[in-house]
Amino acid sequence: MNDHSIITVENLIKKYNGHTAVDGVSFDINRGEIFGLLGPNGAGKSTIISIMCCLLESTSGRVTIEGIDIQKDSFEVRKIIGVVPQEISLYPTLTARENLSFYGQIYGLSGKSLKNRIEILLDMVGLTDRADDILEGYSGGMKRRINIAVALLHNPKILFLDEPSTGVDPQSRRRIYDTIQELNRAGMTVLLTTHQMEDAEKLCHRIAIVDKGKLIALDTLEGLLDLVGESDIIHMIARDFPAGAVESIEKMDEVQKVSLDRDSMAIQLLHGRESLAHIIDILISSGTHVESIQIKEPDLETLFLHLTGTRLRG
Amino acid sequence: MKFHIIAIKDLKIVIRDRNAILLMFFLPMIIISVAGLALGGEFQQNIQIDVLVVDLDNDDISKGLVEFLEDIDILDVDMESNEFAARERVKNQEYGRLVIIPRDFTQSVITGQDSELLIINNPTQESQNTVVEKILEGYASRISTSVVAVKTVAAYGIPVFNEEQILQIVGVAGQFAEPSPVAVISESTTSNLGEFSPFTQYVPGFAVMFLLFTTVQVGSVSLINERESGTLRRLVTAPISKAEIIGGKIASTFTRGFVQLTVLMIFGHYVFNLNLGSDLVALVILIAAITLSATGLGMMVAVLVTTEDQANSISSLLVLTMSAIGGSWWPLFIEPQFMQDMAHFTITAWAMDGFYDLLFFDLGLVGILKEVGMLVLMCVVFFGVAVSKFKFE
Repeated sequence: MNDHSIITVENLIKKYNGHTAVDGVSFDINRGEIFGLLGPNGAGKSTIISIMCCLLESTSGRVTIEGIDIQKDSFEVRKIIGVVPQEISLYPTLTARENLSFYGQIYGLSGKSLKNRIEILLDMVGLTDRADDILEGYSGGMKRRINIAVALLHNPKILFLDEPSTGVDPQSRRRIYDTIQELNRAGMTVLLTTHQMEDAEKLCHRIAIVDKGKLIALDTLEGLLDLVGESDIIHMIARDFPAGAVESIEKMDEVQKVSLDRDSMAIQLLHGRESLAHIIDILISSGTHVESIQIKEPDLETLFLHLTGTRLRG
Repeated sequence: MKFHIIAIKDLKIVIRDRNAILLMFFLPMIIISVAGLALGGEFQQNIQIDVLVVDLDNDDISKGLVEFLEDIDILDVDMESNEFAARERVKNQEYGRLVIIPRDFTQSVITGQDSELLIINNPTQESQNTVVEKILEGYASRISTSVVAVKTVAAYGIPVFNEEQILQIVGVAGQFAEPSPVAVISESTTSNLGEFSPFTQYVPGFAVMFLLFTTVQVGSVSLINERESGTLRRLVTAPISKAEIIGGKIASTFTRGFVQLTVLMIFGHYVFNLNLGSDLVALVILIAAITLSATGLGMMVAVLVTTEDQANSISSLLVLTMSAIGGSWWPLFIEPQFMQDMAHFTITAWAMDGFYDLLFFDLGLVGILKEVGMLVLMCVVFFGVAVSKFKFE
């Protein structure tokens, strides 16, 4: 834990019926940063965030938020966090204003302060005009904006967002990004989970990559991309990779790593374009039926492939 | 405490739901009306309880008792002069029960002495026997009041010789006491039992059935929806205790059920002249106890199933089974004994017993203590299971 930390996670473990969903994860989140937990579906991100939001109890390990151990005093923690669940956790037959009013009262707001806060938030998410419409008539993106507004009613110090842009149209996604950045500029610490690279790349100051319940990398975007260095990733879909061909590719000087995943092969190598012809020669001469080839420059996707040998989007 | 915020939100959602309102109020009103009007004649024929009476006294008060029994619609009273023959007829199951009025019954009453009315029952018809016992207990209770009044007066050395004097004594005593003792005695020669019309059966019967749909089916589905839509998880991450969340759900389901049952009883009273009994406080307590136990059952169903479909099918099965064997569709006492025994594992049977006690026997709060106690006990068991198994995830 450093002096800037607002959240500290130490050796967090969560087991369900013998299956380890979170396996010894530790990290700090600094005050005022946007921190991303990136990983494929089922990696353990939602379990980690659920424990941090006091929804789940960990099997072992410790989480402190603003110095408060969440297992010892979760009630105090819940006062200072705002949570935006992955699903639209609203009442569809109530209006947006009624939903906000209900949750506001749950957070202890009432009277004028509640009314004012609702107006501010409706304005922030751009739905003042539709405030008195039943939520059932809203688009998915509009509902998601109200879903975020609900978490901000009590002006929390820390905002947790679980997959904030899942199932959202590009326009609403842009608005959600703007809202998160605006809140962060105002001093709010944000933790988000995502399997969308775009979320992490556009929003996060630091990114933790999670796979199979473990934290496998944590740094700024630039720091993480440095792990891949100057390499390119060639991603190939083909049938019947002969063992001999894979071995020949691995022996090439430029090739840094070869990962096989069912009918796809990911080859990390320096100067990908120059080496591609040689690789294709090897595969065709060994009788492999190549269906598609993609050369990718370093990004979080290639980093994830580099670290795990599998694609982020499964 | 914030549970009321959740309860108010839930009620607001229900008020907006036209289907829910239809199911809660209009559908039961239609079914009660149709069943009561269409099946009235059939109903009257089917619920006759036979009683053989031996009047060994054959004096004013015993004759009054016989007339009292004959005036009750659901009783089919026959007289037998020979006690031995009467006992044989009941033993041979020719009659379900025999009432023996002892010799000197009238004399005992007016002279303030203890006496006993004897009922000999066929044990295979327990509920019918209970009906007759309750009728006689109600009558005996009023007669006992007379005896106590006479004994009290006699204790002061004033001799009493006839019923007219008894009534005068009690009338004078009534000036110094609450009005109710006078009222009780003044009704002693006539029936204060309500009429057992088809609506005495169908109003509470269908009202309880639809209450169960509201509390068990709609109540459990509401909780499951809250879990499936993620709103329950969102509430858990807010500064509100789990007890307040569950309390809010219970309060909204209870309020909905209580209003529904009350409205349907008032509907029965004003539209079909249903007798609500003389003790409205007892009626409110009974309605509250029924609703509370039904709410508990709804909560238990909600925690024992995982999906809305499961909740719907299990609730329908439970509600329809309880209604059929518990006495919602026909009087419990016309069912075979084994079904009556099974029925008393259901909310419906205890609810209907309580309604009969108030609407027909007019036994007041004391008369429904057993039923209220059993309903509260069921409620404790249901809530106990629900709370111990409740998962917020």
